[in-house]
Amino acid sequence: MAMAAGGLISLPAWASNWTAETVGLTHNYLSSSQDELLANIAETIIPATDTPSAKELKVHQLIQKIVADCYDKPAQELFRNGLDAVDAQAQKTFGKPFREGDVAQRTALLTQFSQSAEPAQKEFYSLVKGLTIRGYLNSEYVMTNLTHYQMVPGYYHGCVPVVAKAVSPTK
Amino acid sequence: MANLNIDANAQNTYDAIVIGSGISGGWAAKELTGKGLRTLVLERGRDVRHVTDYPTTMMQPWEFDHRGQLTKEVKDANPIISKCYAFYEGSQQFFVKDAEHPYIQEKPFDWIRGYQVGGKSLMWARQTQRWSDFDFTGPARDGFAVDWPIRYADLAPWYSYVERFAGITGNKDGLDTLPDGEFLPPHEWNCVEKHFQKQVASKYKDRHVIMGRAAHITKPQPVHLQQGRGQCQHRTICERGCPYGGYFSSNSSTIPWAAKTGKMTLRPDSVVHSIIYDEKLGRATGVRIIDANTKQMKEYYARIIFLNAAALNSNLVLLNSTSNRFPNGLGNDSGVLGKYVAFHNYRAGISAQYDGNLDSTTDGRRPNSPYIPRFRNVHKQETDFLRGYAAGFSAGRSSRSNQEGIGADLKQNLLNPELGGWYVGSHMMGETIPKETNYVALDKAQKDPFGIPQLKISIAYDDNDEKMIKDYQEQMTEMFTAAGFTNIRVRDDHRNPGLDIHEMGGVRMGKDSKTSMLNKWNQLHAVKNVFVTDGSSMTSTSTQNPSLTYMAMSARSVDYAVKAMKKGLV
Repeated sequence: MAMAAGGLISLPAWASNWTAETVGLTHNYLSSSQDELLANIAETIIPATDTPSAKELKVHQLIQKIVADCYDKPAQELFRNGLDAVDAQAQKTFGKPFREGDVAQRTALLTQFSQSAEPAQKEFYSLVKGLTIRGYLNSEYVMTNLTHYQMVPGYYHGCVPVVAKAVSPTK
Repeated sequence: MANLNIDANAQNTYDAIVIGSGISGGWAAKELTGKGLRTLVLERGRDVRHVTDYPTTMMQPWEFDHRGQLTKEVKDANPIISKCYAFYEGSQQFFVKDAEHPYIQEKPFDWIRGYQVGGKSLMWARQTQRWSDFDFTGPARDGFAVDWPIRYADLAPWYSYVERFAGITGNKDGLDTLPDGEFLPPHEWNCVEKHFQKQVASKYKDRHVIMGRAAHITKPQPVHLQQGRGQCQHRTICERGCPYGGYFSSNSSTIPWAAKTGKMTLRPDSVVHSIIYDEKLGRATGVRIIDANTKQMKEYYARIIFLNAAALNSNLVLLNSTSNRFPNGLGNDSGVLGKYVAFHNYRAGISAQYDGNLDSTTDGRRPNSPYIPRFRNVHKQETDFLRGYAAGFSAGRSSRSNQEGIGADLKQNLLNPELGGWYVGSHMMGETIPKETNYVALDKAQKDPFGIPQLKISIAYDDNDEKMIKDYQEQMTEMFTAAGFTNIRVRDDHRNPGLDIHEMGGVRMGKDSKTSMLNKWNQLHAVKNVFVTDGSSMTSTSTQNPSLTYMAMSARSVDYAVKAMKKGLV
């Protein structure tokens, strides 16, 4: 939520934020099955615990948006081919698509990608993992509820004891 | 002259015209209207109103489509502007698009521009240090450029005047190299910055680490509240525009102030073509513009004209203002117009780590950092290069989350970052020597989309700059070592001139009309009713961020111009 400063500041309509829904609607970058696969990969990297998973926070939709708009052709190809390779590998190792694997199987497969002798697999996984982490940590849910980002009021304390880290004042 | 009827003339006639609404044009507008002159402010870009036209200012990090990252489309289309540190998804609306405003790089030059009401004052880095007499006497003492026609004493009261209005945070440090100003409370240091300050003070008598002076309101005074500006909230996203007016910009401060007088007419989308010179009267009578929307040429008239189009564009306007009397550009009897352009050398930097103070960290954000005023060749020549450099400095504590692994453990680690060690860093701000060979000129063949000749830029580093880079790296290494910093790394990013965004000169001030364009009042020697008070007027560059000096010069020059006008001298 935008905070009003010293009274009401109404934002013009065109400045409204994106939601996962609008991104999903306007940007069919991946097929629905690839989209689901990416969501499951993100969920394997950051699963649901007592807080939502990357998939629940729709991080996979942000990943697509960033890859589609900010990355060059080779990276985009690496991304698509990597998705296909994940499913192919899943078929090979546990005889079904990635989404039907259990957590242990999925985790093992992605771990294998992270250590793969094939540069394309390793790079794909590192790209997706990096964007998953970034998208997760920068999601509204995490920044609001877990890391407590505050645009205002701002302050700067230069020397805070590590043991008793100052708690951000809230209003 | 076109056959304009008297009515049209009357409608298009003002007491004063200001060309440009950036940091210096905004001040000229405020001062002229404040003295009761009906003033037309011409701005080539679109209107940007305070708060209303800051579309990204209240957006949270997660509300950006690409979380702040530039799209490939934007980067590919804008190879020049996307090099600028302040250009990102939340601020890109305030920078020019490369293709829309072409220029010619005879030598590599990254020309960073913001074409809108407020100009670059919306996205500037807000550092505001005064010049000292070591700076104003530099050219005369060290034998380059020409002697400044003014000294610190001429500008000191005007520094105070603009500081009080703009709102400048700083600490009174009592240094002769960096005179104190009218300061709001200073920003806070962190432990490692303090440690470095003490180490430097104990080892070097003539080197000081101080808190930067910056255009942030740390404690609003009545004059700021009158402007509708409030306390800086340390959001540190200034380049999106500030809804509180916490930092100084034309948009938050001088332009609305001028508007309140009822004397200002602001005309955005007005690309200035040239200044009109009347040979019979022997003075400038007005300004020709191209309306950015209709591409039609229009003329506006006034008794005095302030040229504040930003350094290189003010050169362009004068070069393009030709007449029988001034075939080589308005006021250019000396032939120096467009020459002796200089800039700041930001190429070198240094980074290191520190293993002390591990029991403390920082909390929050700070829109400012410590500063090391120039210490080289101040009182006498002591190196094999001329002049010197200032430096930015800051320390911070890294906070890293372990990103190894996958699954619940990874998630746990991401949400519980561990404090790493302290990192420290600095970058140089070197003075470059104005030279005749560093120049801008109009291209004879190529025109911009408005039919105005494109500017040809021919500016480069020289041997003096290379020596200075080396010296900065050596001296800072020595200072970092003395402070116990480890893993010291120096760098030279070889950035092009221009990326410093501190280009200056080409319309320099001087005592002698044979070797300079402007007199001590920033008035063209040869055209008494034209004043130039932006970066183009600078005789030399010193090492300080220049905007505060432009503000002070603008206020001083308007004061003189209006008095002279009332005496019938202009």
